[in-house]
Amino acid sequence: MAGPLAPTRTPETTVEEHSDLDRPWVTIVWNDPVNLMNYVTFVLQELFGYDEPTATTLMLQVHHEGKAIVSSGPRERMEHDTSRLHAYGLWASYQRDS
Amino acid sequence: MKSFRATRSGDVVARLDPAEAGIVGLLLDQLEQLLAADADDVAGDPVMARLLPDGHRGDPELAADYRELTETSLRSGKADDLAIVRATLPDGGGELRLDRDQAGAWLRSSNDLRLALGTRLDITEDTEPPDEIVDEQDQQLAVYYWLTALQGSLVDALAAGRGGRS
Repeated sequence: MAGPLAPTRTPETTVEEHSDLDRPWVTIVWNDPVNLMNYVTFVLQELFGYDEPTATTLMLQVHHEGKAIVSSGPRERMEHDTSRLHAYGLWASYQRDS
Repeated sequence: MKSFRATRSGDVVARLDPAEAGIVGLLLDQLEQLLAADADDVAGDPVMARLLPDGHRGDPELAADYRELTETSLRSGKADDLAIVRATLPDGGGELRLDRDQAGAWLRSSNDLRLALGTRLDITEDTEPPDEIVDEQDQQLAVYYWLTALQGSLVDALAAGRGGRS
């Protein structure tokens, strides 16, 4: 999305490269057989300030679909979010949004 | 064991039998030893891989960056939590009363113990508690499910306390 502060595109920069750089990073929580459902919900509320229904929906997505995106933004913040989840033992990783 | 419950003061309270307090103490020793082990001795250990997982899947360079950035603080956080759990564990059993910070340490440490045991025991979503204890595997499985009950009640008590505050 080009705003007033977006850099002017130079001839050698392709559209694809631009959209690649603009894609945000995401933090993903993966399903695992040990973490309790109520624990995962509790941690998502604690770390991200989600209300209980939102945290429960994300937890159920992890449980049923194997993973859920729990936050998105710049890479540094996703690294930080991943480490906060790791501190609670959740199985998390970050990657560029696909 | 008497499960955790929320109290009006905001603390959570449980009661541990002497044997249960003893088991928690032994498990804390083992976890502490594992975390203090020489990196070369525990390289490739699935429990360590679960307690300090890769931050990025598929890109070893990013995973290494992440490790360099976070591992020290993750390790010291675990050590701090273990120290709090040890300091609050009633020697010989008895009442276990925790304020919110202490409860957070118990939450994370008991989860690490469950992750460690669960990884060693190859727990899957279909694993069931043992009907009877005939060997060491059953015994460890029983401990795992006891920790599960303890941690589950701690989460419920903290969630109940949170509901009361807001």
